Amino acid sequence: MKQLAVLVAALAFAGAAVAPVGAQSVRTSASVQSPLCDPCVPPALRNTTPAQPTEGAALQSQVEQKLRQSFDAADVRHTGALTREQARAAGLGVVANNFDQIDTAKTGKVTFEDLKRYLRSRGAKF
Amino acid sequence: MRSRVAATLVLAATLAVAACGGGGGGGAPAPGNGDQPYFDPTIYSSSPGASLAAAGEGGARTHHQMTLRGNTVDYTAVAAHLAARDLTSGADEASIFYVAYTLDNQDAATRPITFFYNGGPGSATVWLHLGSFGPKRLVTGDPGTNAPTPFPLVDNQETLLDISDLVFVDAVGTGYSQAIAPNNNQTFWGVDQDARVFRDFVIRYLTVNGRLASPKFLFGESYGTTRSAVLADMLETAGVQLAGVVLQSSVLNYNSNCGVVTLALGCAGYVPSYGAIGAYFDLANPAPADPVAYAQQLRAFTANTYAPADATYLASHTLPAAGVLNQLQGFTGIAVSLWTTNFNLDPATFQQRLLLGQLIGRYDARVTAPVGSALASQGDPSSTFISGQFTAAIGGYLGNSLQYTNASTYVVGSSAINTWDFSHDQNPLPDTIPDLAAALAQNPNLKVLSLNGYHDLATPFYQTELDLARLGGPGNLTLRFYAGGHMTYLDDVSRPSERADLGSLYQSASVTR
Repeated sequence: MKQLAVLVAALAFAGAAVAPVGAQSVRTSASVQSPLCDPCVPPALRNTTPAQPTEGAALQSQVEQKLRQSFDAADVRHTGALTREQARAAGLGVVANNFDQIDTAKTGKVTFEDLKRYLRSRGAKF
Repeated sequence: MRSRVAATLVLAATLAVAACGGGGGGGAPAPGNGDQPYFDPTIYSSSPGASLAAAGEGGARTHHQMTLRGNTVDYTAVAAHLAARDLTSGADEASIFYVAYTLDNQDAATRPITFFYNGGPGSATVWLHLGSFGPKRLVTGDPGTNAPTPFPLVDNQETLLDISDLVFVDAVGTGYSQAIAPNNNQTFWGVDQDARVFRDFVIRYLTVNGRLASPKFLFGESYGTTRSAVLADMLETAGVQLAGVVLQSSVLNYNSNCGVVTLALGCAGYVPSYGAIGAYFDLANPAPADPVAYAQQLRAFTANTYAPADATYLASHTLPAAGVLNQLQGFTGIAVSLWTTNFNLDPATFQQRLLLGQLIGRYDARVTAPVGSALASQGDPSSTFISGQFTAAIGGYLGNSLQYTNASTYVVGSSAINTWDFSHDQNPLPDTIPDLAAALAQNPNLKVLSLNGYHDLATPFYQTELDLARLGGPGNLTLRFYAGGHMTYLDDVSRPSERADLGSLYQSASVTR
């Protein structure tokens, strides 16, 4: 983008920090070190082939995939099930905080299918 | 005036020093009331490779009073750093600079808290902090370009502080936020990496300040809405339930915005904005009576006529019948001749061609400047007019009003965008609608409020509607539209309307909680 190049040149003064002589003499200052262009991408990405937008079942399958990835990341032993403690240690609060409601069979462990059933029962569309 | 503005921008660092006396807006705290000024000895850097050896978490705490719609309001401001810590290991990741405003003597368990951030990526949160719903705002005179400078900083009668505590957060490598070793700033310059460090900051802030029980809101602008979608999903997965997400001028899917990516992408999402802007300049024929009804007419024309014709044009370079070109001229004021050569009209061309001899703004298309003028020289007069002023004001405000001093430069705009990892979910550019959908799947009570400007040529309102429509039904989603550009809150008529709509969001979110 031509306007970006112009901005870069105009703002190339960057970083005129004020040297501290002591706390009393310091003034807090600010500068723009790069042009503000929001949203923008670097030139190399402008010709990216855009991804097709998803909706309906395809979108909901992306949602399921995201949740499954988080679940699998927490399942470090690859057993397909998590205890409350394992979920908490992995930062999977959505499971740890709602464990009793998800663990309807009271086995002390929940699977991804248990989580799915729980979220669907609360209105999740996936 | 216009050349003076350009000079202000180029000499921003110098003027920031000179403006210290005027930056406080009369809000300097009285001594002896428990204020704790802070001189932060750390030198911060926005360079990609920059890294702090350790987290310093000192900060300034000051007490303030303002009259808000007839009531006296006492609040505390904290300008400080807090380390974002890895969710599982607890290791320090980045030292995040924030300014928090809390209303005094409130119940932390029930009092809402809102995290604000601008986007870029690479922008400090100076626009939302000093322009929108904080306790102070700069008087910009938007969309005019003849407001007195330096912009006065005044008590903000539209602040949300009476409804929610407000935390303005700077992303890593902006403002005074910086990565902590072994990470460097670049570690967090990516869609997922940035959202993770924001998640870890939000959790740390809530934990340290005893706010885990508070109703929690996110308020992001522009790339900040991309961040919000990813962050909302991550917070819900981490077990932090949000009450609401406010999307100010959204770019939820980079793959759908023809002003951001390749021109092979259809520009139909922009056409209703072109019409609204044409009407603003009295170029629409027949002249519309009501902007809301006109926007509806433009949406219908775009969906039924322009979008299918544009798809044909992109596929085979075949133009539609002359009647469609005439309709486009009537709706927008852009001549048939330009529609003939540029049927898939991109926003940068629209900015240059709508008015003879004038460049209109990208952020706010209502702002004009003669081609060749200083104000037009950087490609967006609406941005050029305010950038230097906001940059000059933040240093003085932090130092004088909030009593936070630092010898290094508060970086309003870093170079992060050049090396940002935009990839997300196996796509080179982010589509974050699935993230927003995943957040909603995990939290059925989560409310989403989308705020849009009719005259924004960066994130056009109709494209945002199309993106959000993928969620499949209104449910928890509300969309609102205002006169104005990307930063609708700068408009003195739109800001109170926006505040009223935000008030409804906070009310409904607390009712369903």
